[in-house]
Amino acid sequence: MPEDALRAAEVRKTYRTRGGPPIEALRGVSLSIRRGERIALLGRNGAGKTTFLRIASTLLMPTGGTVEVLGHDVAADPDSVRPLIAVVPQEGKPFFHLTPREQVYAYLRARGLPRDEARDRTDQALGQVGLEDVADRLAITLSGGQKQRTMVATVLATRAPLLFLDEPTIGLDPFARRAVWESLRQLTREGSTILLTTHYLDEAEALADRLYIVEEGRVLAEGTAEALKHQVGGTIRVSVKDGAALGDELAAFGSAVSEDGTVHVVTTQARVGELVDLAMRQGLSATVGPVTLEEAFLRVVGRSIDEE
Amino acid sequence: MAFIPRWRGTGVFLGTELRMVLHDPLAIASSALVEGILLVFVWVLARDLLPFALLGSLVYSLFLIGQFILSEAAYIRIDHRLNEMYHASPLSPEAYFLGMASGLAVGFLPTTLVLFALTLVLVPTSLAGLGAVLLVLLAVWTISASMAYTISTLFKDMKAIWPWASLIANVLGVVPPVFYPLALWPAEWRALALVLPTSAGAALAGAAVGLQPLAAGELLLAGAALGLQAAGSFAFATWWARRSAREA
Repeated sequence: MPEDALRAAEVRKTYRTRGGPPIEALRGVSLSIRRGERIALLGRNGAGKTTFLRIASTLLMPTGGTVEVLGHDVAADPDSVRPLIAVVPQEGKPFFHLTPREQVYAYLRARGLPRDEARDRTDQALGQVGLEDVADRLAITLSGGQKQRTMVATVLATRAPLLFLDEPTIGLDPFARRAVWESLRQLTREGSTILLTTHYLDEAEALADRLYIVEEGRVLAEGTAEALKHQVGGTIRVSVKDGAALGDELAAFGSAVSEDGTVHVVTTQARVGELVDLAMRQGLSATVGPVTLEEAFLRVVGRSIDEE
Repeated sequence: MAFIPRWRGTGVFLGTELRMVLHDPLAIASSALVEGILLVFVWVLARDLLPFALLGSLVYSLFLIGQFILSEAAYIRIDHRLNEMYHASPLSPEAYFLGMASGLAVGFLPTTLVLFALTLVLVPTSLAGLGAVLLVLLAVWTISASMAYTISTLFKDMKAIWPWASLIANVLGVVPPVFYPLALWPAEWRALALVLPTSAGAALAGAAVGLQPLAAGELLLAGAALGLQAAGSFAFATWWARRSAREA
């Protein structure tokens, strides 16, 4: 068994358009995922995350490059890859006229599991995502979070070695998101490997062992959330309200970005006191907090993750 | 590489689809609507044509299943995106297609069974005639299911599909001589009626039960058209199911 659950080399995808120029969705993405890891592809909408995930899960042919899942080439040998993976598609919803129990069971049976085993695993998966109470209600009557957890339970029950989740918590409320996160942590505790895409920074930070920041079809940075934050050049962020007039003086403490009149300065712990003193002397308020993944993303990509 | 269909899991997906239909009994009831209304009209306006209308309803009820397949396959793909979950799994796309088509056929069978029972009462026929009618019905379902699944993969918007579903069901199911005798159709277009899957089915079923005799050449034309279309469309849909499961 290979050590890597997934290995991608120079993956390219170009979409032809009717009458327009071709769109390069992926421009040479290379990455690797070790078995048992939770990896997030982090990027803005349209960065190429879903395209990569669809190629890796045998749903889309690449224009160039290779992706191997547990040693099998996804383009040349999809039939060997499919038993090893399970996918929650972006904005995927369960069958509305099935109950969560029926949905999970039917999927397991379609994958070839015997009845008894499928039944046991269904009960177990629904329990793990906290859906026992609604397991026999039609999915159409469930909340958005419960529907999404039904999807997660469906792939969870497969116990496939590699799971793909495309924006698994999009549109969910904070409580539902956390419940899905916990389900995903549970999956890797049981030995699965997860590749998820997200444009939520907190989700990437809370869930992923490592992140790949993707922008315009390329991987721009890779590492743990902490490592990426360290690349920013400091560990503390000081935000000075109406600090634009002190621009140059503030910039001397570290990298400074102005946003709606507030200047955010990333600096080191040793210089925080000095910086706050400067702001106070000018009668300005300053707030101090840790550097976030948002700053790291901004520095790597040059744009906010929410920018269209 | 040679294309070898894999059917493992068809029965399981049939069960899934059937379970969904059974959770929605109103859909089953509504599937009998068009046939029911047309039968009432014929009963009131031209009672002597009722046996034709009944046989036609039987053919139409099987053909109409294609409309449900078209909507269901597109809905699962566009609104729920569950086809991706299944296509990225060991279940083959052709088993997914056939399972869905068969599940809907079984789910909507009550309408067909009621019409079949009524036909048996009103149009007494031999065992061989019944066998021939069943074969015709199977061919009509195969054509409509294959056509519907193939078309369902071509759209990105549910709204664009509704007119197609309605157009196909009405243009092929109601306009040609399905609910009325072939003799009432313009003579110069008779050959066309004998190659369209619905009217060919109705003509063959009518001939099988002795309701509307066909010349030997016409029998051959209608039989060959229906058989070839059934085999060809099924082979194509099976290949297309696999081909369209992974975007190029």
